[in-house]
Amino acid sequence: MEKELTSKESLELITQMISKAKKTAGGDGGFQMLLWGWAVSLCNFGHYILAKLEYDAPYVVWTALIPVVGVSIWHGFKKPRQTGVRTHLDSVLNQLWLMVFIGIIIVLAFMSQLNFYQNPVILILASIGVFTTGAMVKEKLIKFGGVFLMVAALISFFMPITEQYLVAGIAIVIGYLVPGYTLKKG
Amino acid sequence: MSAFSPLDPLLHSQLRLAVMSLLIGLDEAEFTFLKGQTQSTAGNLSVQLDKLEKAGYIEVTKSFRGKRPLTTCKITQEGVSAFESYVENLKKYIE
Repeated sequence: MEKELTSKESLELITQMISKAKKTAGGDGGFQMLLWGWAVSLCNFGHYILAKLEYDAPYVVWTALIPVVGVSIWHGFKKPRQTGVRTHLDSVLNQLWLMVFIGIIIVLAFMSQLNFYQNPVILILASIGVFTTGAMVKEKLIKFGGVFLMVAALISFFMPITEQYLVAGIAIVIGYLVPGYTLKKG
Repeated sequence: MSAFSPLDPLLHSQLRLAVMSLLIGLDEAEFTFLKGQTQSTAGNLSVQLDKLEKAGYIEVTKSFRGKRPLTTCKITQEGVSAFESYVENLKKYIE
């Protein structure tokens, strides 16, 4: 038979277990932010450089994102298998980013209607995703990344289309990679 | 007069309370996770999970991952309410 719990022991046990569950649920160490941050910023810089070199089809660099989508989804499925838990936070974050992703695809599909000003719109979508993620995981630096992306979106609207790729690349380095590496360290 | 209501005997047990406290913050957790965090034996944990399931506090799903059996547990709405009133009662004892 197990011993009778006192009220104080009960409360301690509850607190201890809740914090254990929280620790397990603490995100993925910034993996997705780093993956997308590197991939998208490099594609932006690549597009900018190829366009400056007057290459005919600078947009070919974006095909590099196809395997990245695969890695991202695979990693998303693997995480609950490693930790043995599924949290509401994980599922809310997945749904948020799924919708951001769908939004980006729609913007890309209609970029000619947008007069190829799709980059600032994509930055706005990413900014909402990053800021909300920061608010949910309670990380100020991620929220800052979101704000930075929004400012970059605003600046982009005043730039020529080719230069928008450079702005987007820099914005993603600061808005994604800086918070991503901080999460990894923490 | 605020009377001391008796603490729910189903929750006032070390292992069952530990399991409920873990599940309250999660969507679902695997048996192996609960076993590791509570440092219990598989046998004892199975018995306690069974009691919680019979009371309607948790939902236990048995499936397979590849060829290995996989047991996942999830707190029910009834379980959440029971846990909340247990904590409320506990506060009265401590005050």
